[in-house]
Amino acid sequence: MTIEAHGPVAVATTRKAAPGVFYLCLGILGLAVVAAILADWIAPYDPSATDFSALYQQPSSAHWFGTDQLGRDILSRVIHGARPSLLGAIALLTFATAVGVLIGTVAAWKRGWVDAVLARVTDVMFAFPGLLFVVLVIAVFDRGPGTAVIGMGLAFAPVIAKFTRAIALEEMARPYVDAYRLQGIGSVELCVRYVLPNLFPTLIGYLVVLFGEGLMSLAALNFLGFGAQPPSSEWGLMVQEGRGGVIQGIVGPALIPGLVIAVVVVATNVIGVRLSDKLAVKA
Amino acid sequence: MTDVVRVTGLRKAFDVTRRTPGIVAVENLSFRLGKADAIGVVGESGSGKSTLARMLVGLTRPDAGTIEFDGRVREWRERGRLARLRRAKEVQMVFQDPYGSLDRRLTVETALRNVLRRHQVDSSAVGTRIAELMDSVGLESRLLASRPHQLSGGQRQRVAIAKALAVEPAVLVLDEVTSALDVSVQAQILALLTDIRARTGVSLIFVSHDLAVVGKVTDSILVMYRGQAVEQGSTADVLRRPQHPYTEMLLSSAPGPGWRPERVAELRAAFAVVHDR
Ligand SMILES: Nc1ncnc2c1ncn2[C@@H]1O[C@H](COP(=O)(O)OP(=O)(O)OP(=O)(O)O)[C@@H](O)[C@H]1O
Ligand SMILES: [Mg+2]
Repeated sequence: MTIEAHGPVAVATTRKAAPGVFYLCLGILGLAVVAAILADWIAPYDPSATDFSALYQQPSSAHWFGTDQLGRDILSRVIHGARPSLLGAIALLTFATAVGVLIGTVAAWKRGWVDAVLARVTDVMFAFPGLLFVVLVIAVFDRGPGTAVIGMGLAFAPVIAKFTRAIALEEMARPYVDAYRLQGIGSVELCVRYVLPNLFPTLIGYLVVLFGEGLMSLAALNFLGFGAQPPSSEWGLMVQEGRGGVIQGIVGPALIPGLVIAVVVVATNVIGVRLSDKLAVKA
Repeated sequence: MTDVVRVTGLRKAFDVTRRTPGIVAVENLSFRLGKADAIGVVGESGSGKSTLARMLVGLTRPDAGTIEFDGRVREWRERGRLARLRRAKEVQMVFQDPYGSLDRRLTVETALRNVLRRHQVDSSAVGTRIAELMDSVGLESRLLASRPHQLSGGQRQRVAIAKALAVEPAVLVLDEVTSALDVSVQAQILALLTDIRARTGVSLIFVSHDLAVVGKVTDSILVMYRGQAVEQGSTADVLRRPQHPYTEMLLSSAPGPGWRPERVAELRAAFAVVHDR
């Protein structure tokens, strides 16, 4: 089973990367994770400390990435933004994976009408734009980070369900599964204890690729104001807040978090594709 | 004495779609097998051997007919753990593909241990039993720590046989277990099966397209053509005095001294005229 990446960024980065590029990407992701965990210690400034004497400053030794419209240090905000951005994508994928893997496995296991019904359900979900789920979820739960995560999670779940179903069908056709049955192992145990663990290596590579997509989708939602709210410095929200400067020719506050998103997304894609090659099941 | 296996009027058809009836894979098939006996099932590719084997072990549901193990008629998929464990002890199967028939995540030891645990072997006895099983399939104990991808095809097939034997089944179905192996490894596995049968008293159902291979390990042979048994008899009789032209054709198909491909074609043509009408 090979991994097909989704979306423009993923497609552009699916080509096999050189080992050097792979380690560079690992480094980038590592940096983002360190920032997410240690933001309070490594950020030079308080991310929400305003300084009206220093609005829209150019990058300098005091402010490496400059300051924004409220005089806040952009570097500190980007560092502090790592946590909500990464956690959001993790929560999104966790939710989507739980739903998707359940649907995909049950479909592959039960076949017949159960599979047919689940296929219809996922097709319908698939056809809905992710944004629509978010709007629906907001209509019920009001806006906020949780809303964006669940809404987008519903959009991602069918993709994961389809993928899981495909690899589960392939797996269950292997004779070792029949051998387990003949040993007297019941269906649920067989599925949970023996088949699912064999799907994980393939699944994990795919999920890392999707992680980039999830991060980007959430950033877009936050940009639109559906998710994280100020004073959060979630990256998508930072782009949104920095937009005002662009008209005045000051691109830094919007461009820098935008670039950070792009770089992290590309890095996770490269890692995901490599990982799925590496973990690809041996014989 | 009751037979260990008794199969009566077994039938299976695979429909192309729900409306269009497809090919009949197995048709009105019956045979019996005594304790520690070995029966061979031979036939060309597509003759329905695997379908028969899968029905015997309960992986494929027959359209008609009954399968009895030790006088007890098999139901399709009984519920409950005890029923499943009892059925496991009735029959086990080893599959053709040595690459797909082991769980790639588990070491040989874990795989064997899991089977033994499930079938309530005393935990203090598990270690001894694993050593015995490895010995009986001719594997060195250093391979216990190996995972399937570190083993050769022949070694994997031995592990698969050991796993099946760990359940201590009354009957072992072997579907083309040597077909993916080279000739010398094939011979080793055949010798091994003969030895295991003599020591444990397990009955064998040995499925293969190769009549010569079947002849080496069985007492009787059932020849299948298009899902039907066209000849059934003791191995010696079938090999030496085939009653049916199809069997004769199978016999003459094997390349050997004095082999003539055109004779095979002749026999096939003659046979098709009689059988297919
Ligand atoms: N699941 C299935 N669905 C549809 N047709 C099937 C299925 N399984 C087997 N068949 C058909 O039934 C017939 C018998 O197949 P089977 O696998 O039993 O043959 P075989 O004797 O084992 O052949 P081989 O020596 O190639 O393994 C074939 O025509 C095959 O196409
Ligand atoms: Mg077959």
